[in-house]
Amino acid sequence: MQSIIEGFAAAFRLIVTLNPELWRIILLSLEVSGTALMLATVLGLPVGAFLALRRAPLRGLVISLLNTGMGLPPVAAGLFLYLFLSRSGPLGFIGLLYTPTAMIVAQCILAFPIVASLSHAAIANVDPVIRQAAITLGATPIQESLAVVKEARYSIMAGVMAGLGRVMAEVGAIIIVGGNIAGYTRVMTTTIALETDKGNFELAIALGIILLTISFSITVALRFFQRLGQGGTSGN
Amino acid sequence: MGLELEIIHVFRSYNGNPILRDCSFAFAGGRTYVLQGPNGSGKSTLFRTLALLEKSDSGRVEYRDGGRILAADLALRRRITLVLPRTGIFNTTVFKNVAYGLKIRGVSRAEIEARVNDALLAVGLGHKKWQRASELSSGETKRLGIARAMVINPEVFMLDEPTANIDSANTAIIEDIILKMRQDRQAIILMITHDPAQAQRLGDDLLLMQDGKIIPA
Amino acid sequence: MARILLITSLIGSLFMAANVAAATRIRCASTTSTQNSGLFEYLLPIFEKKTGIKVDVVAVGTGAAIEIGKRGDADVVMVHAKDLELKAVEEGAFVNRHDLMYNDFVIIGPANDPLRIRGMKSVADAFKKIPAQGAEFVSRGDKSGTHTKELAIWKTAGLDPKGQKWYLEVGQGMEKTQRLANEKRAYTLTDRGTWLATRDKDKLEMMVVLEGDPVLFNQYGVMAVNPAKHQQVKYKEAMAFVDWLISPEGQKAIGDFKDQHGNQLFIPNAK
Repeated sequence: MQSIIEGFAAAFRLIVTLNPELWRIILLSLEVSGTALMLATVLGLPVGAFLALRRAPLRGLVISLLNTGMGLPPVAAGLFLYLFLSRSGPLGFIGLLYTPTAMIVAQCILAFPIVASLSHAAIANVDPVIRQAAITLGATPIQESLAVVKEARYSIMAGVMAGLGRVMAEVGAIIIVGGNIAGYTRVMTTTIALETDKGNFELAIALGIILLTISFSITVALRFFQRLGQGGTSGN
Repeated sequence: MGLELEIIHVFRSYNGNPILRDCSFAFAGGRTYVLQGPNGSGKSTLFRTLALLEKSDSGRVEYRDGGRILAADLALRRRITLVLPRTGIFNTTVFKNVAYGLKIRGVSRAEIEARVNDALLAVGLGHKKWQRASELSSGETKRLGIARAMVINPEVFMLDEPTANIDSANTAIIEDIILKMRQDRQAIILMITHDPAQAQRLGDDLLLMQDGKIIPA
Repeated sequence: MARILLITSLIGSLFMAANVAAATRIRCASTTSTQNSGLFEYLLPIFEKKTGIKVDVVAVGTGAAIEIGKRGDADVVMVHAKDLELKAVEEGAFVNRHDLMYNDFVIIGPANDPLRIRGMKSVADAFKKIPAQGAEFVSRGDKSGTHTKELAIWKTAGLDPKGQKWYLEVGQGMEKTQRLANEKRAYTLTDRGTWLATRDKDKLEMMVVLEGDPVLFNQYGVMAVNPAKHQQVKYKEAMAFVDWLISPEGQKAIGDFKDQHGNQLFIPNAK
């Protein structure tokens, strides 16, 4: 018990004194996960929108695949990506393994199904009267689709937040493709794993506190967007 | 002269049930038509077909300008509008709702500002410009729907039950707007209502929906 | 005249060499225990300052480190499993292997040493005592250098501990293994560096019960990934690293490295 309390006290000291190593790790975590989410949204939102707005033939199959993808175990994704990116693998010539870019790719793979699937649900749930209203006001087919997507924007944001929460919390994929290299590919989750293994609870607890705070903020943001999304068009 | 509208031998069925049965009518420019009929008689279906929102099974809807038949393309669709009974307001501000039609036509910001303000003033929602449209009462929502449609200066203005389920104060405001538009004689106005007194007040020509056809009342 | 030209061109090429070498990164696969000792945090800045080459260390178990080298995902490998290293060189996966430094392994056990191993000279004999007298042994079980050494000792002792209920394979790093042995009041094989670094920090109620047997000698080696096998490895820079490590300067740096208690953890022995 004593060591836990000491650990917390030391952790607070690290946080408050703006320990540079701590903050570099935090910054890298935000960069990697943030970039991964942006990419996942750029790719996933159009896919979700396309599935919701066009009655494409393989729609049901694709949606099932996406839903399965949402539950993809991060460590499995990491393993397969590792085999691809290894210099002995098909994409080895790019030389991405053990770089932050590989981590971004891994997390993008994890977040993509979440963003695509939740965007699809959000857009498909928009009242059909919105699309009709846009048409009666003279929208082109593209403008029509944009109006529907815009209508779902809060629920889409909630989906993006869900994806962000998922990737900020994971460690399995990025530790395999990132290699947990000091000062280069070490992020909050992988450092917590490492330092706990080493028995360096100070840094681990400090990062744990911050990670929980960030997780909590993401959850609050998600809730905020969900509520905005619900208070949308009524049937008037 | 303005647009002329004619519906010619239109048939339309839903799930095997015939709704419009050999429906034909010619609407003259500058006049206001009020359509009544029992629920399920096909009034809304007719309007959606006229608004080019839906296609008929057979027959055609013809828009003419100076005698020339117009193609049913985007250009034509942008000259007509239909205010839906459920309105379908967007989850954004009142201002942005009304601005939508102008924004998608590429109108300049300055002009949008001016025209939207005028439309909001006309429906009495100027003071709620920056509120979220979802916060409006049902009467205000209907007025917003009308402002949104008015602002694009349509040559055929269709309204499906514009005063259903709202109080008399809001109804009065909406009827005033329609009367003003009717006086201008610029557009063809088509309106659906269940209120015979309202039909008398607002319409030049009173129509009835019967057996899937339009007949004069 | 000629001498001035020579000196200027020498300085010029040194400048260019420094600029070209700047912002170059190579990857070194090594073991968790080496990483956790803090050796790299001490050595690499010295090397980088001298050559401008940044070394990224991926720390895994010995087996994985060699595998990473074989796959060409690292440019240089530093582990402490000489038999495995030489075998991999024979297979053609690596070139230019050199002995680098050594530390030793020790047997640690509970502070009261119920098996009375203290004072024994032969580690194989000590190992025989463990099942014979009902104690437990915790193994890393992760193909690391430590694990490889441990298995060799069991073989010498003529015992096969796999699957026996007194033999706990944890598949973890050295520190975790020690802490587990502490919890279980068991014996385990560890490297002196990790032991010295963690004994007080982890509050281990254990002590060194056997040391000095030549079998416990832990030789570290460094080798470059064979560029013939993988074209993209940065062979030149990898060799710069290897050559520096075995140079008098690198060897001195290794010897100068001390843990936070002031203990020298590695003894340089490159030839």
